[in-house]
Amino acid sequence: MGRYALQRLLGVIPLLFIVSVLVFLFIHLIPGDPARLIAGKDATLEEIHGIQEQLGLNLPLWNQYINYMSDLLSGNLGNSIRSGIPVTDMLESRIMPTLWLTFLSMAWALVIGLLIGVISAVYRNKWPDHLGTLTAISGMSIPGFWLGLVLIQIFSVELGWFPTGGVDSWKSYILPSITLGMGIMSMLARYSRSSMLETLQEDYIRTGRAKGLREYVVISRHALRNSLIQVVTVAGLQFGFLLGGSVMVETVFSIPGLGRLLVDSILFRDYTVIQALLLLFSTQFILINLIVDLLYGVLNPKIRFSQ
Amino acid sequence: MKAKGKVWSMFMLLLITVVMTAGCGNKGNNEGQGGNTAGGTETSTPTTKNDKDIVIAINSNFITLDPHNASDTHSISAARTMYEGLMGFDENMNVVPVLAASHSISEDGLVYTFTLQENVKFQDGTDFNAEAVKVNIARIQDEKNNLRLRKSFAKVAKVETPDAKTVVITLSEPYNAFLNKVAMAPIISPKALTENGADITKMPVGTGPFKFKEWVQGDRLVVEKNTDYWQKDLPKVDSITFRPVPENGSRIAMLKTGEADFIYPMPTEQVSEVEGLEGITVDTIDSTIVRYVTLNTMKKPFDDVKVRQAINYAINKDAYIKVVKSGLGAKLDSTMSSKTQYYSQQTGYDYDIEKAKQLLAEAGYPDGFETEIWGENESETMKGMQFIQQQLALVGIKLDVKSMEGGTLSDQINAAKTPEEAKIQMWYVSWSPSSGDADGATRGLFSSEMFPPAGSNTAYYKNENVDKWIAEANKAVDPEAAKSIYANIQKTVWEDAPWTFMGVDQIISGKRSNLEGVKVFPDGSINVLNAEVK
Repeated sequence: MGRYALQRLLGVIPLLFIVSVLVFLFIHLIPGDPARLIAGKDATLEEIHGIQEQLGLNLPLWNQYINYMSDLLSGNLGNSIRSGIPVTDMLESRIMPTLWLTFLSMAWALVIGLLIGVISAVYRNKWPDHLGTLTAISGMSIPGFWLGLVLIQIFSVELGWFPTGGVDSWKSYILPSITLGMGIMSMLARYSRSSMLETLQEDYIRTGRAKGLREYVVISRHALRNSLIQVVTVAGLQFGFLLGGSVMVETVFSIPGLGRLLVDSILFRDYTVIQALLLLFSTQFILINLIVDLLYGVLNPKIRFSQ
Repeated sequence: MKAKGKVWSMFMLLLITVVMTAGCGNKGNNEGQGGNTAGGTETSTPTTKNDKDIVIAINSNFITLDPHNASDTHSISAARTMYEGLMGFDENMNVVPVLAASHSISEDGLVYTFTLQENVKFQDGTDFNAEAVKVNIARIQDEKNNLRLRKSFAKVAKVETPDAKTVVITLSEPYNAFLNKVAMAPIISPKALTENGADITKMPVGTGPFKFKEWVQGDRLVVEKNTDYWQKDLPKVDSITFRPVPENGSRIAMLKTGEADFIYPMPTEQVSEVEGLEGITVDTIDSTIVRYVTLNTMKKPFDDVKVRQAINYAINKDAYIKVVKSGLGAKLDSTMSSKTQYYSQQTGYDYDIEKAKQLLAEAGYPDGFETEIWGENESETMKGMQFIQQQLALVGIKLDVKSMEGGTLSDQINAAKTPEEAKIQMWYVSWSPSSGDADGATRGLFSSEMFPPAGSNTAYYKNENVDKWIAEANKAVDPEAAKSIYANIQKTVWEDAPWTFMGVDQIISGKRSNLEGVKVFPDGSINVLNAEVK
């Protein structure tokens, strides 16, 4: 297991390098001159050139990249172009709301999604299955944006149970987590259902039943565990998306997280912040994938031994 | 059951690992970080807020609290709760004295003498005096600081302080808009400037009605009552919390639930929904933001003034305001809004299709022509361009609507180094002068020195008289003289029609009916000095 993990870990390094180049290029090739945005619309050309020079935007791209990487490797993400605040400070102040939001969403989505999936599979084509399918399909089809606003209207404006947004207490996270987790919950429900159904066809399940194991044990110990690989894959991928993709929910619920920081930064061409965020998101994604890979090894020893 | 337990512990492992990975981005500061969040969670509970603590929801984050470096109106609003300048603005954007009790300008327009208010103290207890003003202007002018306001003070040659209550500013050349620039320059406590250094952007200390309490970026800015404020009986509320709430629907919801006492901007499409609701009031005022279409006067067919006038006649501005601006706007009847300094109303260009056709025929385009209009890809702008497209189709002008993302559009316009290279034909856009001054609403747009990429004269408009007048107006000392020069400029530009004059935006805010005294000024800044809960 240790060697397997090490192999995977080393494989991440070139990937991170490629990501850093791509992120850098993407940002510097999109149109829009940040110097012009900083200078304001009534700025003179001289001022704009001054700012370009100050930020090193007049240098050739490769030169800018080298400067950027050497700063990065020494732990310096630079200052926000727009506000002058160090990027690390900004990330620090924004990361917790996003993490909370993501974990809460993922947690309930995993539990409920798996539950619905397993029940649907066990009661295939009976009413619990139909109900589960209906829930999952609706959950997938409802646009998150709309769901968020509807939840606010019902639970904040009409009933007054939860605040409309912000991060003042745990209550603030309830509605956003429901909104953000809905799609993933539905997806997990569908995946775990089909995965369970497949597993339930397997010979060893029949064997288990034949040797008189209780149905509960068959389902939870044999079927569920073996169908988890697919679910873990999907959940891992979705988790990565969640961390970077809570943009919409953070906007609707005014949560000061990383997603909103990204949107704000893109609007103002705040290169340094966008770069740092994209790099952070990609790194998270890569690491989550790594974890998923390792979990495969745990869930199915065949995978790690075949290496 | 062992297997099951293992699965769950693995799940927990997944969660924990991700927390740690995410933490990698911020170099081991997780502990302090977690502490911050927890602290914030427990200390502030706005659901049980006091009547004297008001909450204002705005649509985007504050960028900086450095009053000399703020460029967005929200940062300016925030600065003005804690800071004051020698001069300030009233609700019609007239320049009025604040920390200056009085001022005089020498006949040659070069020497500005300010007599300061007595008994004003900064929030750190130090005295506000002439020396403080001098320190602030030096800070603004220092090239190393690279502050947004530096340009506004470029013409300041020297600052003298004959005594503690007098400041004499001498300019290198007359500058008619100078008082407006002074009004944009709040005074920071010199002691705080020295002690806080660069952190002054996060720990403001001024003379204003409110003191800084906390700023949690992206979540809230809290300012509390300055109990030693120099103006009697002000402020009347204990604290103000600003919250950035980007989503329109969420801002409205906060107003409805009472989580917010004041919201700005009020989304236009929602005005009808909340109007008449008990406890909610909607306020509307004209802004300094003008909307227009620039017509490239150096390109055929717009090089003919008749074509440009024809387009002005062919568009029904009343319908424009009704359809595109949901009825919340005014017709643009000059080159600037009625809330801008030295505005002079113009007449003409009433909707007249026959006249438009006739002018087009006289210009040699009896059957119209084909051209394209540019604009940003934001929904209201696109609606505006489609409206113009429909209107011009009636006189035979076929418009190709090209909407682009802001950055792309800006690149397109500024890529042309000379007028000949310019590809722009028509551009539907808006403008607002940064300090409500006529120079700011004129020079960048109509001076022939301001062709892109140097400035925003995207109509490539060149009129020798206008060029001359713009320079003269800047040097005028007497406000009446400046006023009449600007009247000439407005009249001439109006007749030359380098723009299709469309509309003036209105500023719409929503508030709980028991809140009084919070006002949005025409430049979009929120004034809270007189805030009061009834």
